[in-house]
Amino acid sequence: MLWHEVLIQQTVNGLTRGAVFALIALGYTMVYGIIGLINFAHGDVFMLGLFISLAYFALLGLTTTLQGWHLVTVLPLVFVATMLTTGVINVTIDRVAYRPLRNAFRLAPLITAIGVSFMLENLTLIWRGPAPIAYPDLFPSVDILRDWFGIDSLLFITTKDVLVLGATIPLMVGLQYFVTRTRWGKAMRATAQDKETALAMGIDVERTIILTFFIGGALAGAAGLIQGLYYNIGMWWMGYQAGLRAFTAAVLGGIGSMPGAALGGLLIGFLSAWSDQYISARWTNALVFAILILVLVFRPQGLLGERVPDKA
Amino acid sequence: MTDRGGLRSLPAALLVTALLAYPFVDRALQAQTVHAVTDAMIYVLLALGLNIVVGYAGLLDLGYAAFFAIGAYTMGLLNSPVLGSPLYGHAWSFWVIIWIAALVSAGLGVVIGAPTLRVRGDYLAIITLAFGEIIPVAIRNLGDITIDIGGWRPVERLNLTGGENGVNPVGRPQLPGVNFDTDFIPWYFLILAIGAGSLWAMSRMRDSRLGRAWMAIREDETAADCTGVNPVKTKLLAFGLGASFAGFAGSFYAAKLQAITPGAFEFNVSIMLLCMVVLGGMGSLRGVILGGMLITLFDRILLAQMTSLIRSVGRSVGIPALISVDLTLWRWFFFGLGLVVIMLIRPEGLAGRRLRPPAADVDEGEEDLALVAAPPRPRAEAIPRWLRQPPASAAVVNSHPILEVRGLTRRFGGLLAVSEVDLVIPPRGIVGLIGPNGAGKTTFFNLVTGLLRPDRGEIRLGGESLIGLRPHAIVGRGVARTFQSIRLFQNMTVLDNVRVGGHCRLHASVAGAVLRPPAVVAEESRARERALEMLAFVGLDGRGEELAKNLAYGDQRRLEIARALASEPRLLLLDEPTAGMNPRETDTLTELIGLLREEIGLAVLLIEHHMEVVMATSDRITVLDYGTRIAEGPPAEIRRNPKVIEAYLGKGYEEELVSG
Repeated sequence: MLWHEVLIQQTVNGLTRGAVFALIALGYTMVYGIIGLINFAHGDVFMLGLFISLAYFALLGLTTTLQGWHLVTVLPLVFVATMLTTGVINVTIDRVAYRPLRNAFRLAPLITAIGVSFMLENLTLIWRGPAPIAYPDLFPSVDILRDWFGIDSLLFITTKDVLVLGATIPLMVGLQYFVTRTRWGKAMRATAQDKETALAMGIDVERTIILTFFIGGALAGAAGLIQGLYYNIGMWWMGYQAGLRAFTAAVLGGIGSMPGAALGGLLIGFLSAWSDQYISARWTNALVFAILILVLVFRPQGLLGERVPDKA
Repeated sequence: MTDRGGLRSLPAALLVTALLAYPFVDRALQAQTVHAVTDAMIYVLLALGLNIVVGYAGLLDLGYAAFFAIGAYTMGLLNSPVLGSPLYGHAWSFWVIIWIAALVSAGLGVVIGAPTLRVRGDYLAIITLAFGEIIPVAIRNLGDITIDIGGWRPVERLNLTGGENGVNPVGRPQLPGVNFDTDFIPWYFLILAIGAGSLWAMSRMRDSRLGRAWMAIREDETAADCTGVNPVKTKLLAFGLGASFAGFAGSFYAAKLQAITPGAFEFNVSIMLLCMVVLGGMGSLRGVILGGMLITLFDRILLAQMTSLIRSVGRSVGIPALISVDLTLWRWFFFGLGLVVIMLIRPEGLAGRRLRPPAADVDEGEEDLALVAAPPRPRAEAIPRWLRQPPASAAVVNSHPILEVRGLTRRFGGLLAVSEVDLVIPPRGIVGLIGPNGAGKTTFFNLVTGLLRPDRGEIRLGGESLIGLRPHAIVGRGVARTFQSIRLFQNMTVLDNVRVGGHCRLHASVAGAVLRPPAVVAEESRARERALEMLAFVGLDGRGEELAKNLAYGDQRRLEIARALASEPRLLLLDEPTAGMNPRETDTLTELIGLLREEIGLAVLLIEHHMEVVMATSDRITVLDYGTRIAEGPPAEIRRNPKVIEAYLGKGYEEELVSG
C-alpha cells in the first residue's frame, strides 16, 4: 500500500471506531450532565450489549451471514431488543447503586460505580469464560470499492463500515432531536441545569434521571451490538478499555455536551487508529490516557463545553 | 482520634505478644501460614499508605498500585544482576535501596499529584487511574524499545525495565546470622518491623498539624484555604507520603518474591486496596488494618475453603452443579460487590465514625432554635491572654490603615460585580458593608481574602499589597474571615476546628510531626491550651470533643468566629454573622464584636443585614449597590442618605422617609 492509502485506510478505521466510542461517550456525558456522576460501569453496559445481542441471535438460531429479508427484519428487531435490555440494566444500576447515595459525600457513588463495573465484568467472565468469544459474521461484508465500483485498490472499505455509520448517525441525530425538540428533552436539560429549580417547576426529576440512564444504556447496547457485528469477537474485559476511551472522548469533547461527545468520539477514534499504525498499538492506551490527563488538567471544559466557575 | 492509647493498654500488650510469638507457634504446629501472612501484611501496609491519600486528605486515588510498582521496580532494577546494576550484590544493597525506593515513589507521588491539584475530586480520581494504567504499560514497553523512523533506527531493542519478562532474580536482604534465603520467619519480622514503624509514623502525622490540615482539606478545601492551610502543599504531602509507604511495600515484595512482572500492578490491585480502606473505614488506622486482614483472609483462605465445602456437600448429596463450583473465580466479583454494599449500608466502614447524623438531628425547626439556651454573655476577662499580645501577624506596627482598598474592580463576563470601590479601615476600626442582595458585598470579601483576583485596583494590609496572594497566605498576613453559609470542618471535632485556625502560626514539619522534638511538643500543647481558651471565650467550653456538625446553628456561627480568631488576625471579616440567629444570640454576638475591638484592638469588616447590629457596632458604613459604592459615612449619616434609602426601598420613598 502507498502511504496515502495507509492513511486513508486508517482514517476510515478511525471513523468507525470513533462512531462506536461516540455512542458510548453519549451515555457518560448525559449521566454526568444530569447527576454529576462518572458512571464507571457504563463501559461494561456496552460490553453487555455485545454479549446480550449475541444471546438474542443465538436464541433466534442465527449463526450465519444474514441475507435478504432477514437483514431488514431480524437485525432491527435484535437492535431494539438489545437496546431495551441494556437500557433497563442501566436504570437498574442507578436505582440500586447510585440513587440511595444522591445526598452522600460526592465520591461515594463513584466508588459504587467502580464496584458495579467489577461485578458486571466478572459476572460475564463466569458466564462466558475467560477466552475471547467468537461473534458470528452476521452482517454481509462486501468490498465496496472493488465489487460495487470496480476500482482496483488495496483500500478495504466494506458494507460493515457503512453499517456502523448507518446505525450510529441516525441514533445521534435522533437523540439530538429528542433532547432539543421534545418536552422530555426539555425536562432533561432543565434538570441538568438545576435540579432544585427543575423540581420546583414541576419536573419529575427522578423520572428524568431514569430516562437519562435508560437512553444512555440503550445507546451503549447499540454500540455493543455494532462492535460485535463489525469485529466478530467479544471479551469480558473489553468494557473497561472501551469505557475509558469513550470517557476520554466525552471529556475531550466537553463533558455534558452531546455534540462534544460525538466530536470527542471521532477524534479519539482517529487518534487511536493512527497511533496503532504510526507509533505502535502497544502505546495507544498510554497515549489515550495521556490525552485524558492533559485535557482534565488544562482544559477541563473540553473542546465544546462551557467553563463553569467555582462557587466560593 | 479513636485510636489513641497506644501500647499502654492490656489488649495492646497481648496483641504485641501474639504477633511476636505467632511464627514460632506456626512452626511448632507446622501450619505453614507465615508465608501467606507475610504477603497479607504487604497489602495491609499498602492499604495504610492509600489511607493517607483517601482517608485523611480525601483524594480518591484509583491508581495507587502504580506506586507499588515503582517501589518494586526500583528495588528490582537496582538490586538485580539483570540490567547490571552496580548496587547489586553488596551486604547493604537491600537496606539502602529500600530507602531509595521510598524516595522514588514519594517523588512520583508528587509528580502525579501536581497536575491533579487544580481539578475536582472525581476528575482527580480518573487522572490517578490513568496514571495507574500508564505505568504498567510503560514498564512493559520500555523493556523492548525500537524507534523506527522510515528505516532509520536510532534505538533498537533497548531494555530499560525487563519488559514483559520482568526482573528476576532480585537480591535478598542480608544480615549476619539471619537466614533470608530459605526461612520465612525473618521476612515476617522484617515486614512486621516496617509495618509497625509505618503505623507509628502515620499515627503521629495524623495527630499533628499536618494531619489536621489533611482532614480540613478533605472536609472543605476552600474553607481550609481561607483558614490558613496551603492546599497545594498539603495535598502534595499526602500524595508523596502516601506513595512512600508503597515504596517500602514494593521493595519488600520484590525482594521476597525474587521476581517481578508488570502484571502484578494492574488496576485490580488498586481496587483491592481501595476495598480494604473502604471496608475498614476511611481515615481509621485500626479500621484499615482490620479491613486489610479481613479481605486477605477472605481472598486467600475463605474462598478456597468455601469452594471445597460446597463441593463436598455437592458430592455427598449428588448434585453435579455443586461439585464443579469454583468460588475463587468469583473473587473480583465479590470485591465489586463489597464496594457497593459497604457504600450503601455503612459508608464509614467497620471502624469509622458514623458519617451521617441520626435522622432526628437533621431538621431542627425554627422553634427549637428559639428554645436553645441563650449563650453566655462574652466577658472581657475571658478573652485569651495570648490574643491581647500584639498579633504575630503584626510584626511591623506602622501608621498605615489596617485595610486600604482603592479602585477595586471585578467583572464576571458582562456583569460588573465590584466597580471602583474604595474602602479604608483604620486601626481598631469597625466598618459595616451593607447593600441590597447582589450588590457585590460577598464578592468584595472574596477579593480581599484572595479567593478571587481583582481585574483592577489595590488592596493593602498595613501598607503591604495583598494582590496576587493565595487565600492561605493572606490569612498568614493577618486577615481572617467567616462565611455567609457556615463552612466548618463538619466531621472534625470542635477543638480541631479551632486548632486548624491556628495552623499558620504553627511550624512543625513532617519530620517534626513524626519525631516530636521538645519544640513541637511544646508548640502542640500551647496550641491545645489556646484553642481551649478560645472555646471558653466564645461560650463553647466543654464542647471541644463534639463533632462540629452536631453543634446547634448559633454555636456553629460562634465556632466559625473562634476558628478565625485562632489565626491571630489583625482584621476580621464577618459575612452576615447574625444571619439565622435569634435576638438573644444576635445581642451576644454584637457584644462580642465590640469587646474584641475594645480589648484587643481588632479591626472588623462586617457584612450584615440586621440594621440594628450594623448601626450599633460600626464606626463607619460603606454602602454598595450594583457593585459601586453609593455612600460612605458614619451610621447616623447613612441612615438619612437618600441614595441609600432609594437603593433599599426604590425611588419615591426617600422624601417621605427623610421628612418623616
